[in-house]
Amino acid sequence: MSKIAMPEKKLLRFKNKGANKKKTLNKTKRGIIQILMTLVAVLFATPILTIINYSFKTTRELYLSSPLALPQSPNFANYISAFRKLDLHVTFTNTFFYTFVSVAVLALLCGAAAWAIARNKSKIFQGFYIYFLLGIFIPYQSLFLSIYIVGFKTGLVNTRMGLILMYIATGMSFGVFLMTSFMSTVPLELEEAAKIDGCSVYRTYFCIVLPLLKPAIATLTILQAFQIWNDYLMASLFISSQKLRTITLAMQLLFSHQASDYTTAMAAIIISVLPVTILFVSLQKYFVQGMTAGALKS
Amino acid sequence: MLRKKSINRFEKLQYFSLVLPGLILFTIGLIVPMLLSFGYSLTDWNGLAPTFSYIGLENYRRFFSDTFATQAWNFTIKFTIWNTIIQNILALLFAVVLNSAIKGEEIYRTILFVPCLFSAIIVGFVWLRMFSNVLPALNSLLGTDINFLLFGSAKTVLTGLLIANNWQWIGYWMLIYLAALQSIPNELYESAAIDGTTTLQKFRHITLPLLAPALTICIVGITTGSLKMYELLVTSTGGGPGRASTSIVYHIYNTAISGRQYGYGSAVTVLFVFILLLVALLQLSVLRKREVQL
Repeated sequence: MSKIAMPEKKLLRFKNKGANKKKTLNKTKRGIIQILMTLVAVLFATPILTIINYSFKTTRELYLSSPLALPQSPNFANYISAFRKLDLHVTFTNTFFYTFVSVAVLALLCGAAAWAIARNKSKIFQGFYIYFLLGIFIPYQSLFLSIYIVGFKTGLVNTRMGLILMYIATGMSFGVFLMTSFMSTVPLELEEAAKIDGCSVYRTYFCIVLPLLKPAIATLTILQAFQIWNDYLMASLFISSQKLRTITLAMQLLFSHQASDYTTAMAAIIISVLPVTILFVSLQKYFVQGMTAGALKS
Repeated sequence: MLRKKSINRFEKLQYFSLVLPGLILFTIGLIVPMLLSFGYSLTDWNGLAPTFSYIGLENYRRFFSDTFATQAWNFTIKFTIWNTIIQNILALLFAVVLNSAIKGEEIYRTILFVPCLFSAIIVGFVWLRMFSNVLPALNSLLGTDINFLLFGSAKTVLTGLLIANNWQWIGYWMLIYLAALQSIPNELYESAAIDGTTTLQKFRHITLPLLAPALTICIVGITTGSLKMYELLVTSTGGGPGRASTSIVYHIYNTAISGRQYGYGSAVTVLFVFILLLVALLQLSVLRKREVQL
């Protein structure tokens, strides 16, 4: 019995050894990958840590101590002066207002257009779709010059309304594209039932379709909101009055004025980035969904 | 019958009215400017004067003999090609690594992604400070003599901007690749493992073909994104040193708004939009074909 069992046992042991070896190899490989990735993450985090570090330094420390040294004690003076220099209560309210209104209207209009396009297979509506899609490959940055002329001729330059309308206009393409790709998940049965009950097209859209679009609206909102929040070129073209400025405009001014004493600028960066970062971290799931829904379904 | 038809028509009209507001805004905000650009590109308008004259294709002729424009194109194209290569490879690499059994995936993902939430205005300024103030301190610490002043010379400014731009966007594209990777069913790899395929073979024959749609979107996205680059320059190099880092949008801004040459700026705009569309359509048709082949 032992004679027969031996080879089997040996084989088993051998097998085990093999498995173990493979595992340890994987472990070292995995360890190396983990270390390399940590290194990459440290490299990526360095500028962010630098911003945080500088935002707490005093001007004295900025000039006298090493750029890599930590401040002796956290100093919040930079934050206070950044609040003042960014004119934050004005610029923050403005930026929030522009972003909020643009995104809300954009969601409403894109949803309506996408739904109408999805429910009408006629050539006209498909033509509209292609017309909208044209805009996806033409970033507004390439047309900023004539966009400014249009704004100027229609008297929209230096008004809240003008900037918001332009944000909506330049966001339509992507919005319609995203919403149309989402439309296949909206069940027809509900709409048909509503139609039989005598609901008008508008009522069907507002009462039945719009609530079903919520996930698509969430992703569109997040994607567009952070683009509009961070936009500089459009705001710099349309806004010159102090009262209407956005954070990025105030930021650019601060950067050029505080070129040498940039501790205040660093604190300003933290202040402006914090809201979007918090939004992202808490809504990460939708963000990723939105990015990939638009990207992968096409 | 007749009545039904008129109801149908009424319904169509209602649907049409749902598209209309967006259609009008889109037309005013993007299509009209495009047509205007073309119109003004045939004139010598300076942007201020009430009158201007029609000069035909003169602006276009001027464009092809304008060394500044050529320089701007050269820079933009170099920046775009390098960006597309580096950003795609690194984003895909990091996505594959994060998708493997690595600990703390979420932490890495967040760290790599956060920079893309910053406005390019901020990114430009931060890297200006990194290169000119922070990193040189490493030299005295390590006793090395590395030149970190990348924005200071025409030779290195492209590298500096590539670092800044990649730092900002790699995490974004990585997330798209990651989502695509995670949507690949595990059974495919398992059955491949039974057949005894190597990791490289698996990547070549399973991962890559299934990643094709994500690849398309990332390549087209990075290309159009790089071609339109402008904001990063405002706070970092200002198009300099000299004109070494003047992108095409920056060049349009300089000539048209600062230089008061609207007509000429419009001509550059028209050519730029034309090339943008051409590149996007070319990439799309090639990549789509590849998607099918894979």
